[in-house]
Amino acid sequence: MRAESMTCDERFTTAVRLGKPDRVPVVPTLQAEGAAGYTGLSMAAVAGDNQMVVKTMFEVFDDCGGWDNPYPCAATPLQLQVTGSHPMLVRIPGRDLADDEPFQLEEREILRLEDYDTICEIGFEKFFFDDYLWRITDITPDLLPTELAEAVSGLARFAAGCSQRGVTPYFLGAASHPFFTLSLTRSMTPFTQDLYYRPELVERALERMTADLIERQLPLIRSSGVDRWLFTEERASGFFYPPTVFERFWWPYTRRVVEACWSEGIVTIFHLDQCWDRNLKYFRDLPAGSAILEFDGLTDMRRARELLGGHLCIKGDVPATLLAIGTPEEVSAYCRSLIDDVGRDGGFILGTGCCVPPNVRPENFRAMIQTAKSHELA
Amino acid sequence: MRHAVREFPLSPRFVEGGSMSSVLSQAIVELEPQRVATLVGERLEAGHDPLQVLAECRQGMAIVGERFQSGEYFLSELLLSAEIFKDAVRILEPYLAKSGPPEPAGAVVLATLKGDIHDLGKNILATLLRAHGFVVHDLGVNVPPAVVVDKVRETRPDLVGFSALITTAFESMREAAGLLEQAGLRDGVKLMVGGGVTTPAVKQFVGADFQSTDASAGVAYCLSVVGGQASHAC
Repeated sequence: MRAESMTCDERFTTAVRLGKPDRVPVVPTLQAEGAAGYTGLSMAAVAGDNQMVVKTMFEVFDDCGGWDNPYPCAATPLQLQVTGSHPMLVRIPGRDLADDEPFQLEEREILRLEDYDTICEIGFEKFFFDDYLWRITDITPDLLPTELAEAVSGLARFAAGCSQRGVTPYFLGAASHPFFTLSLTRSMTPFTQDLYYRPELVERALERMTADLIERQLPLIRSSGVDRWLFTEERASGFFYPPTVFERFWWPYTRRVVEACWSEGIVTIFHLDQCWDRNLKYFRDLPAGSAILEFDGLTDMRRARELLGGHLCIKGDVPATLLAIGTPEEVSAYCRSLIDDVGRDGGFILGTGCCVPPNVRPENFRAMIQTAKSHELA
Repeated sequence: MRHAVREFPLSPRFVEGGSMSSVLSQAIVELEPQRVATLVGERLEAGHDPLQVLAECRQGMAIVGERFQSGEYFLSELLLSAEIFKDAVRILEPYLAKSGPPEPAGAVVLATLKGDIHDLGKNILATLLRAHGFVVHDLGVNVPPAVVVDKVRETRPDLVGFSALITTAFESMREAAGLLEQAGLRDGVKLMVGGGVTTPAVKQFVGADFQSTDASAGVAYCLSVVGGQASHAC
């Protein structure tokens, strides 16, 4: 192992500020299912108990000798649903699925056409708790405060675990992009039909949701004590939509949110699933250093570096498939190549392509962490 | 009456006629659901051969597929055209039942296997294959591998396709491939795997013949297996 000359925070901050750290920072997206898979626990064991979620995540962290910034991993599927992180029907292991199956989200057309008007009128958050949530969840309203409180406690336990280990959470505040939220709640085909055939309706909702997001999210991020937050989008890229849709329904709202955060020194972490090759150039218009772009193994990382290197920090993208069915040698070779090609001048964080999968081979995950720690930056 | 999509300036491609052979085909290419429904209804009411009307709808879908392949159209446009085609077929079905079903281009069994309930990609592929004249036996999601074997034994398809969005489905895919082998059915079919998490390594892991994350490429592969172009004449 190489000698390290920076703390985790110094290393991470250097990369985000587009500098070259002592070694590449490594921040895997390890969630409950990946942690359970690594430790041999059943999926059901982490689906109903968020204390177990936090405990299991840190077991993996400690077993690997740690990494730079742990990804928040502190909620059950039900808590992810009632907090709005996963605004969809949820199938839970041990309840709806076999104990060894990971929880799954079921995409249905839950948000109705007439709901757009309600969102514009009262905002998505009020609509979610007054009406929408009760279309997707099995819990009764009297149990909601307990679940919400438990979600907050879980996050506090996670933050305390980080503190005990002398590391800072990767982020503590998070939200989905309004475009993504509408796509998940309407489901993809009806939402696409709305974009093409009822564009004004979508635009009005996006306007309201963006304004609300900025107003709600900024104080939350400030109070979290971590000056960055996660902004998730999995369905707006050129893999799905032409530039005309992207430019009209995604980019202006995105820019508004990022600039509002950056005006207070808050860095936006984009979680960008699917292939963004056709959209990379747009991100050049964001202020330098204002964002981290996380890719999931489907975007060309070298192209991303070519277009955005020295302007925004890039993170990714060890594919879930490689972690599930590859070998440690293959994982290590992938990481070395990525560090050499994308991270050689800094401004790069080694991460997983989306999440660590439930069927991760532990030796593959360890190979990823160890390669980051040992591979010399050119 | 033109649909609202015409007011949304997607690109000049919508006014380029290209090689379109009919107004109906063109309405599909231009993604105009109401216009397609009206045209199909009018044609049937006027006593036109439903097989010919279906063929024109398929031709529109083929042009959409070509534009998708060339990068001119996007997945969203493939998705919208598939919905328009499904609606057109719904109108045509009672008429097709009377005139006798068209000769299929081939048969495909599709499934999202046990451990995965995502079906968007599978559904797009199913609709595109139907638009190209294939009979599609769609087994749905979270399908036990043994069910696939039963369906293959029953229908003797040309191809079998498994779709996945999460990596835990890989084992089910491999199990299904093994069961097909054990049942002596594997040599009679081409096996495809597809979906966001699949890679050439997954193809090898499963023992499949083809892998793609692109539904349109899946259609091209199916056409190549059954011997070329879909039967537009029906």
